Amino acid sequence: MSLRRFDQAKPFVTLGIIVAVWLVLPAVFKSFVRVSFFELEAPVEVATSYARDLQEYWALRMHSNEALVEAGRDLARLNAAYELRIQENTALRGEIERLDALMRLPTFIDYRSEPARVVRRDFSGWWQRLIIRKGQNFRITVGAPVVFTGGVVGRITEVRATTAVVELISSQNVRLAAVIEGDTRPISFQGGLNTSFAPPKGVVEFMPLDIFARPNARKRLVTSGLGGVFPPGLTLGYVTHSELGADGLYQTGVVELDPRLSSLTEVTVLVPLNPD
Amino acid sequence: MRRLLALFLTSVLLCWLVGLTNHHLSGWHVYLYLGGGFVTYAALNLPLRPGLDAVLLAGLLCDATTPGPFGLQALCFGLAHCFLFNLRNRLDRDAPAMQVVVTLLANLGIFLAVSLAHSRGLPDLGATWGRLLWDLLWSQVALIVITPWFFALQRRALELADPVTTAWERRHHD
Repeated sequence: MSLRRFDQAKPFVTLGIIVAVWLVLPAVFKSFVRVSFFELEAPVEVATSYARDLQEYWALRMHSNEALVEAGRDLARLNAAYELRIQENTALRGEIERLDALMRLPTFIDYRSEPARVVRRDFSGWWQRLIIRKGQNFRITVGAPVVFTGGVVGRITEVRATTAVVELISSQNVRLAAVIEGDTRPISFQGGLNTSFAPPKGVVEFMPLDIFARPNARKRLVTSGLGGVFPPGLTLGYVTHSELGADGLYQTGVVELDPRLSSLTEVTVLVPLNPD
Repeated sequence: MRRLLALFLTSVLLCWLVGLTNHHLSGWHVYLYLGGGFVTYAALNLPLRPGLDAVLLAGLLCDATTPGPFGLQALCFGLAHCFLFNLRNRLDRDAPAMQVVVTLLANLGIFLAVSLAHSRGLPDLGATWGRLLWDLLWSQVALIVITPWFFALQRRALELADPVTTAWERRHHD
């Protein structure tokens, strides 16, 4: 009878012994195993990403010459407009530097832009993240902000040999200081509301009582620059709803994030030039 | 060792396929979690140690490519394996329908355990669980589709890796 009982318990005893051994193993060993497993799968993911790019390339090759000529003409117009913007930006940057020097203000961190292709997108209810095709080989650093044309994408949380993991701002673990455009009072932003078949959302807390946001009068939420991770003024999303918080001193609100976050194919990593 | 490697390679394949599918489904905010698929064949057909080793390796593989505590999914896979291993003599484990049902139940258990572990600190638990239930539903549908194929793939991989032991186990099992 007792032998039969042990037969029933044997799988659990075996698992218990393995778990006990695992718990006493040093963290360095576990970290090594984790990196090894990740790197084992990484070449497969990267190769898939290259195959996807090749597929896209051959699809583009199917376009007619007329379509290419039209695209080239449109791009030339855009380039001309951007040239003008660059000249304006240079003049404005010089003005800002002059004023900073005059008022002896601390300078913001300078960044190097590193465009990277997206290898894999993970949008579960538990986490939202991207794996990009650049890592230690391009000196990407942990904590570096990641942006795209619509604003902030997220920040780098892990850097591997040829890939890096980006935690998106729609992820529940992301909390950062933001401001409403045109206002200087910091607000707490947190990602995390991600229902199926709907755009990603986040929440804001500690929003001042004199700011009202409604779906037809939404407020643009931008990075504050506090904390030193994200440069100030980058779009996070739009506050579409606000209501009085439980404490009655501040408001809470819902932030609608850019729907393109879930279909990104390329992002730009802002690598700090002088992280110290 | 060759059998363990064969099962591990099939797990890598499934992990890659699931990742690829999730990449393309991300635009709809749908996420497939097929943890049960990694566990059931080994639990129903292999001896305890080789099966448990293969399942724990698959769990570590899943853990390495996802955030969260390293070893969480391995532990969940291991527990599911132990439960199924104890139950397998009472099940008609050669029936494809039974294999699918067991895989669905295993996936349900693992999904709920992983969800509970990750649900701390969420800003809106109600909305998150709504989303998770949708994900669970799609995952179960995907498992119904792929389980027969994945069982056949694992069986064939084991036969190729070690035909003698696999044939002996099959005879012993019958």
